[in-house]
Amino acid sequence: MRRLIRGVLVILVLSVVLGTIVNFPLIRRFAAGEFKQGFVDLREYEGIRFITLAETEDLFARRMQGAEGLLFVDSRSLEDFAAGHIPGALSIPLEEVQHSGKPEAGQDWGRMIDFPGAQVLVIYCEGGDCQTSISLAKLIHDRGYQDIRIFSGGWAEWSAAGLPEEKAQ
Amino acid sequence: MECGRPPRGKSAVIRNRWLLLFLRIIVGGVFIWAGALKIADPLAFAQSIKNYQVFPNALAFLIAVFLPWVEVLSGAFLMIGFYRRSSALLISLLLIGFIGLVALALARGVDTSCGCFGSFSRRADLSLILTDAVLLVFALVVFFARPSGQSD
Repeated sequence: MRRLIRGVLVILVLSVVLGTIVNFPLIRRFAAGEFKQGFVDLREYEGIRFITLAETEDLFARRMQGAEGLLFVDSRSLEDFAAGHIPGALSIPLEEVQHSGKPEAGQDWGRMIDFPGAQVLVIYCEGGDCQTSISLAKLIHDRGYQDIRIFSGGWAEWSAAGLPEEKAQ
Repeated sequence: MECGRPPRGKSAVIRNRWLLLFLRIIVGGVFIWAGALKIADPLAFAQSIKNYQVFPNALAFLIAVFLPWVEVLSGAFLMIGFYRRSSALLISLLLIGFIGLVALALARGVDTSCGCFGSFSRRADLSLILTDAVLLVFALVVFFARPSGQSD
């Protein structure tokens, strides 16, 4: 029994030591306040940044005034999108992108996340702890898009603020 | 206190050293592989943990930083037979936790990738629970087994 407990402690202590040593720079960045909005290394994904509701509203107003190259992308499920979304947003459900077809259907992914003419992409999901906007932003970034803004407040914050909504297209 | 030898006849199978070695290699190998993939990209793993919508930010980060090392070390120890029962116990506890987490995600309708194997991860679904359950049985067999001629 003692050997059993000793073994468990050995593994746990070694894990803490190794984890700390290997991830020390990352731990320092976390302690300094990074990654609060999402676990994205913005040094690696330079084209991605997080935006507030006010900034999203501003971009939405510009889009409504006919600004070119500005696209809103909704990464939630098709059902959620149909129930209500930011007017003019494009539905790209992350689950469909990731699980569509066979694992080797990389081309399908590419087709779904290709936005000709778009320069600024605003991506949102449900809000709260939802992560699909971040995952989709990374995929889009990997496709070469360089200005991707994640509205972390998401649909919850948008609808709570009483902003314009659109139902199923 | 250590348990005595199992009653005669009960565990001819789980006293088979070759079978136990086979199980240790399978379970240990899976854990080394799973842990190594997560160690390679702790932020992606942290995000996977957040996907389950159970843990707060700081806890998700700490799990992402330390848990993969527990997986790799337990897996490696289990394979080489160093602190065999301790590693099997830790792995069993982890698997119970994983099963619970995936079951919770399914019950709440959270659609997420499991995050188990880094970018090779698949959807957190029933088949994943079954896979984890099989690994859990293997790990428990190793934990409770008393290979002939071996004290620990």
